[in-house]
Amino acid sequence: MSMLNQDRLRATLRANHTEVRILLIHPMTSGRINGALSEAGLHFIQDIRCWRNEDEMLAIKCGTATAENPYFAFRLREGQLGDKIKVRWVDNIGQKGGVHALVK
Amino acid sequence: MIAPFHSGRRAALKQFISASTLAMVASSGLLLPQRVLAHWPSDAFTADTVEDVLLALMGQSEIIENSDVVFTVGKPTNLVTDGKSVTVEVASRLENIERIAILVDNNPNPLVMSFDLMGSVMMPLKSRIEIIAGESQVIAVIRADGKLYKTTRNVRIYVGGNP
Repeated sequence: MSMLNQDRLRATLRANHTEVRILLIHPMTSGRINGALSEAGLHFIQDIRCWRNEDEMLAIKCGTATAENPYFAFRLREGQLGDKIKVRWVDNIGQKGGVHALVK
Repeated sequence: MIAPFHSGRRAALKQFISASTLAMVASSGLLLPQRVLAHWPSDAFTADTVEDVLLALMGQSEIIENSDVVFTVGKPTNLVTDGKSVTVEVASRLENIERIAILVDNNPNPLVMSFDLMGSVMMPLKSRIEIIAGESQVIAVIRADGKLYKTTRNVRIYVGGNP
């Protein structure tokens, strides 16, 4: 499994908020195929945390019912050009990843 | 000969090595998941019913049905054919939102995801979830000022996901 980081993050400044969109590249398998469960196939992101500059903004806990390649979009109050938006994730077998971008 | 002495030492060494290896494996095997899972509420994610999830995640299961929680599922709304990736969007006029949970009542484990909001996050909040085939209720629960609010949407899924 390549751990090439393909995660994407877009942060755009709007009138009175910053719009953040995140796409994480991850298989998000539950190990369940037509109802039959296999622990070996269990591979999913559990914990996602999001920062603006040094402040933590959002913590997302995912279960196996999160769709493949998890996508999140939300807004942050105010903000300015050049704010650094950062995301870190960790999955159930301890693999980690993350991505950051500046607000445009 | 000095064989007995040696064999005793061999045995002791072997025992020591296997014991220390076992200890290492045990500690790495036990410590790693604990560290990784430290903040992941596994009891909430493995619960079988919506009530159990809410008790585990929110500490209560008394809910106010509320129209201030705006919630859409799927595109177009409520008409979902593919359960592998269903867009959900939660919006709300409520103030001081602490936590948002998205649940699907017929999924093997109802809790899909939960969001902890710290201050500056504004609605709407969008994501994609997996839903099992058949008819399900998708539920959004918001905890604001210590109270729970929810809205539900009924969806019919033709091709199910594997949540």
